[in-house]
Amino acid sequence: MIVSPRQKRTRGLQYGGLLLYMLFLAFPLLWLLSVSLKGPRELVELHPHLIPQDWTFSNYREALHGDIGIGDVTLLHAAWNSTKVSLLTALLTTVIGLPAAYVLARQQGLISRVGLGWILLSQMFPLILIIIPLFLLLRDLHLTDSHTGLVFVYVVWTLPFILWMLQSYVRGIPRDLEEAAMVDGASRLTVLRTVIVPLLAPGVAVTTLFAFITAWNEFFLALVLLQTPGLTTLPLLLARFVGVEGVVRLGPLAASALLATLPSLLLFTVIQRWLTRGLMSGAVKG
Amino acid sequence: MRKTLGLSTALVLCVALLASTAQAGKAKQNVTNLNFATYVWQPTTVKAMNAIVSSWNKSHPAIQVHIVPVDVNSVHDKLLTSFVGGSASDIVHDEAADIAGFTQQGYLANLTPLIPKKLKSEIPKSIWNVTNFGHKITGVPIMIQTYNVFANMSLLKANGIKAPTVTKPWTWAQFRAAAKKLTKNGNYGVCWGLRSPTATIQTISLNWGGQWNYLQNGKWVLKIGQGERTTLTTMHDMIYSDKSVDPAGVGLSGSAVLPAFFAGKCAMTIQGNYQSQGMIEQAPKGFNWAMFPPLKGQTQDQAANPQTLSISAQSQHKAEAMQFIAYALNAQNMAKLSAGDWLIPASPTAAKIVVKSTKHYGSWKNAVSAVPFFKKANWVTLGPYARWKAEVATPAFRQYLSNQIDLNKLTSQLVDGWNSIRG
Amino acid sequence: MLSVAPLVRGIYLGFTNSRAGFGLKTSFIGIDNFTRLIHDDLFINSFKIGLIWAGSVTFIQFCLALGLALLLSQPLHGRWLARSLALVPWAMPPVVVGIMWKLVFQPQAGVLNELLYRGHLPGSNIDWLSDFTWALPAVIVVGVWAGMPQTTVALLAGVQSISDDLHEAAAVDGATAWQRFRTITLPQLRPVIVAITTLDLIWNFNSFGLVYVLTLGGPGHSTELPMLFAYNEAFKYGEFGYAAALGDAMVVVIACILVFNLWGRLKETTA
Repeated sequence: MIVSPRQKRTRGLQYGGLLLYMLFLAFPLLWLLSVSLKGPRELVELHPHLIPQDWTFSNYREALHGDIGIGDVTLLHAAWNSTKVSLLTALLTTVIGLPAAYVLARQQGLISRVGLGWILLSQMFPLILIIIPLFLLLRDLHLTDSHTGLVFVYVVWTLPFILWMLQSYVRGIPRDLEEAAMVDGASRLTVLRTVIVPLLAPGVAVTTLFAFITAWNEFFLALVLLQTPGLTTLPLLLARFVGVEGVVRLGPLAASALLATLPSLLLFTVIQRWLTRGLMSGAVKG
Repeated sequence: MRKTLGLSTALVLCVALLASTAQAGKAKQNVTNLNFATYVWQPTTVKAMNAIVSSWNKSHPAIQVHIVPVDVNSVHDKLLTSFVGGSASDIVHDEAADIAGFTQQGYLANLTPLIPKKLKSEIPKSIWNVTNFGHKITGVPIMIQTYNVFANMSLLKANGIKAPTVTKPWTWAQFRAAAKKLTKNGNYGVCWGLRSPTATIQTISLNWGGQWNYLQNGKWVLKIGQGERTTLTTMHDMIYSDKSVDPAGVGLSGSAVLPAFFAGKCAMTIQGNYQSQGMIEQAPKGFNWAMFPPLKGQTQDQAANPQTLSISAQSQHKAEAMQFIAYALNAQNMAKLSAGDWLIPASPTAAKIVVKSTKHYGSWKNAVSAVPFFKKANWVTLGPYARWKAEVATPAFRQYLSNQIDLNKLTSQLVDGWNSIRG
Repeated sequence: MLSVAPLVRGIYLGFTNSRAGFGLKTSFIGIDNFTRLIHDDLFINSFKIGLIWAGSVTFIQFCLALGLALLLSQPLHGRWLARSLALVPWAMPPVVVGIMWKLVFQPQAGVLNELLYRGHLPGSNIDWLSDFTWALPAVIVVGVWAGMPQTTVALLAGVQSISDDLHEAAAVDGATAWQRFRTITLPQLRPVIVAITTLDLIWNFNSFGLVYVLTLGGPGHSTELPMLFAYNEAFKYGEFGYAAALGDAMVVVIACILVFNLWGRLKETTA
């Protein structure tokens, strides 16, 4: 193919544009990385460099060995809290969501249409309308300042979206497959086990991971519900650390922030391909 | 089969995790357990507080106290949520101006019948008044802060300026003159971090008798009279007429201007007296600093807004809680706490112990010299104050100090804001 | 169903005087909260800020994301890198996004001011996040950055679903790139554009965590989004009923946005 100078120029412009985008997207991240690798003396320099003059991993060491937390809550302690809460949320939403999604996808009646409409609509409501009644409800159950209460709220909060994604995966499985198996004399349960579950497995994995990431990143609900520092989740710990006026040690903070992002970033790279596909099939059709 | 297996593993995992989260709250029997929410944050004070609690726990096996640390930046929000959520600690650590609202909402126990005589007599009546909300004391005062001038003594000496003493304190006029004299060669006389200016302004305005809130026909009104105005114009003039205050520092927090002070970019700074601790920890070696006695307007009066210990109305063990408070605040212990925070103890006996325990530049002598000047400011005890401060006063004061609105505009914003919040 | 009960109760709360207080009873007070809202200057202010924020974040985000989506659909080298980068903000906790940008915007050791200083550009001594004029624009930039992934992915999927034949046919007819963009790409993308901008508007109007970490709504109230206002009312002052009423008001606003868009779509299909 012959490339005209005009086309060449367009390509050049396109590469330039792409480069600008990459700068905008990546620059804050690079800066965070750079700050996390600087020693305390370099951090108070009036004119900082992007590339640390004095590489050091001491910030990471400090972040991991405590000393950064409020009270005696260390980064690792908060990470363990986050893991516990996110894992529970992910498992519970999947366990509750799977059967419900199956029914929603396979039933054609009014209920399922109303249900789906509701799910879409519930994504539009401001969080404050859900958190206040949930807070008052948890107060009556004496669960406000506990992980159990937080998991409960997370499940309620992530379930609609999880349901939406799961039911779109179920829809993706042709009905004929099921019917063919039924004709062969298999019971409904056997069909579920031998046909649906294996086909659905990747979708379920993606949604479970997505629920995990959502709970891992969540901040507002934890902020409202948790008081005891021992229960603090990661985002909460980081946010509190930012708040302390004047005494913020930027290096360890940057290191902790990066460490806290790592798990969700890794999981996200694993699932992003399926996630975007699942979302798109939902969004474009809807 | 695989599905059932997977499902049951998931369920077992859930149950196990739930059980592990639920277990934490269980307590031993026959022992009264008290939770104590405290926001002490300076490492030295944290150490002192931990020592006091563990020595209490050792000598009182039947009443065990557990510290629940509260993040110093969100004390109010966290306490409110815990009160509403029914998970409040038995003993809560707060400050006088903040417990006014909680008292109004009924979340704090009336301590008047519970306070032991000895504790009552150790703290002066003028300070008890601050936490007395209509014959109902809901907080025991611990320690109080003042606003003081900190000076770089080498720069003062080089310019032939003599430091004030307890008996001969500086007046604001003298302070202004010194600040002007020290403003030269691109350096400023004063660095003053006024990012959250409300407490500073209202505390020092008692120097000119400015109470801000006055009782008129049974209603608390807000008035910007002579005293209030003098405070405001003095600060404003120093920044914009004298130009002796570094305008770049005005928007920063108090501790954020310390680097400039240490670097000699300004000769003096006004700070809460607790910054002595920050100076000791952060000042470069050989840096010669001093804290001066409170400045004098018509008087050296400053508003007392002490830190307090209160008992939650929801607590099942109020008497035991008071026993612990009395122990934690006996003169010896109060002295330990205030030595850590460099705040002024509410009890003069404790003050005497603190003064003996240190010899740094006579700062403690200067700090404690403020005790007779502590007065009750009306705003400290008013319920709507917290909201007015956050929503109206702080933004308005900041705009005034950054020269975006004038005194008239400020006055009308403050008064209108107060009227609409008081309702 | 699990989410219905709290929501209904939340909507109802807006019509009560529920507030913090030991042993206080809650009762129905009709629309008192709403008359109070209308007369509350701080609410009006935060509502305006919410509109500015949601409008500009959505608009800028859309323009940038459309450009990026178009570039990514071209056979360019290294687009996989840009593609992965574009997704990163999605996976980051909003709190970390906030911390990261705080470091960028820092007045003294921040990279933005350093770049301005080295480039001899004005503004190198502005404390971006606590300046009355600059805090809102600064926060908007962060909002755009954080929301890029969703918008880009949606638009990219839309661009890729447009058949190449259309473009080729137009190219044969001698249409310029700009003409093709205007007559083929935009109309074909329209449903996706309507959907994603509507969602973005709603999400942004309801956002909280990012701005909470960046400025707490300050300085003054210059970045106090409606959700931050509601948070303060509920969890600083204990006015639960009032905060819920604000939530109700937001639902009405969101319903308006939805209806407006649906109406636009309807007109489209009948035309």
